[in-house]
Amino acid sequence: MEPRRDEDDAIVDLLDCILRDGVILQADVIISVAEVPLVGLQLRAALAGMDTMTRYGLLTDWDEETRTRAIADERAPPTRLE
Amino acid sequence: MTDRTATVGDAPDDSGEARYCYCAVSLHEGVEPGPLGLAGVEDEPVRLLAEGDVGLFVHDCAGLYDSADPTEVQGWLLSHQAVVDAATERFGTPVPFRFDTVVQGDDDTVRSWLTEHRERFADVLTDLAGCSEYRIEVLVDEETLDAAIVESDERLRELAAQRDESTEGTAFLVDKQYDKRLNELRRERRAARTETLGTRVAEHAREVQEPDDPTTTLGDTPEKEGAVQARLTALADEEGVDAIGSVLDDVADEAGVRVRFTGPWPPYSFVPEVDDGTA
Repeated sequence: MEPRRDEDDAIVDLLDCILRDGVILQADVIISVAEVPLVGLQLRAALAGMDTMTRYGLLTDWDEETRTRAIADERAPPTRLE
Repeated sequence: MTDRTATVGDAPDDSGEARYCYCAVSLHEGVEPGPLGLAGVEDEPVRLLAEGDVGLFVHDCAGLYDSADPTEVQGWLLSHQAVVDAATERFGTPVPFRFDTVVQGDDDTVRSWLTEHRERFADVLTDLAGCSEYRIEVLVDEETLDAAIVESDERLRELAAQRDESTEGTAFLVDKQYDKRLNELRRERRAARTETLGTRVAEHAREVQEPDDPTTTLGDTPEKEGAVQARLTALADEEGVDAIGSVLDDVADEAGVRVRFTGPWPPYSFVPEVDDGTA
């Protein structure tokens, strides 16, 4: 058996991987490590289930300002943030 | 205008400039370090920033890419992957970056950061050279799987017999027990298959991981035909991947079993953390 890239939308499996894996630079020039998730807030809220967000501590890591901004940015949030 | 004083370790600049990073590549001799001739996320022109023997593909942006629309995100991810693929084709195995890895600052910020980490990147690139990531998923027809489980488990057969002899109310409760037992056995079976497959694949791979279940939904994810019995991702070279293919041929020979074997992909799951110690 040989690996393929065109079987059954193989790329769809990879997309999840591109969102979650790959080098994460723990540098303070990166937007941003300590306070805000590395990918956009709406994107995380839209794509990640609450279980995932809680599991990775994404909710607990957010400071108050970030949460307020995230909520303000989303008039109709697809996932509740708190 | 750009803030040329920004350096790693300083607070991120407030010029509003930023660079989206795709992947790092090894600039070995004989490779043309020119443009890839390919647009990136949001059709932005992709450039190579080089520091010695390490290059970084970037495009200019204003900040993070963010959207609640899965279709838009999927488009960005595909563009990201297209750039990493093109880089792989020309430079060999890259160090792929996670989607939306954005450096706040201008080219100088990125260069000074890259200079500081050049050695680390060069080591990782050397280590990964010639290897790619492969993803393996073993899918089993649930009816075939359940029939095999029932056949091999005495307790399930007892419960089935008890259910047939019971009144309607009792049968309902026995059914519950039956389902619980069946689910337990399904989980055990899955764990056992994953472990066995992992061991066999590991003999031919540099590294094997058991990835988490997919956590994101990007709209039109296709329905899987069958239940996932094992999911692995392996880092392997060309020789290794042939041997892994043979292992998977054996696995797929079993009735009701289908194997999805995809790749080669950039080694997203196997890149180490690159840490400058400031975070």
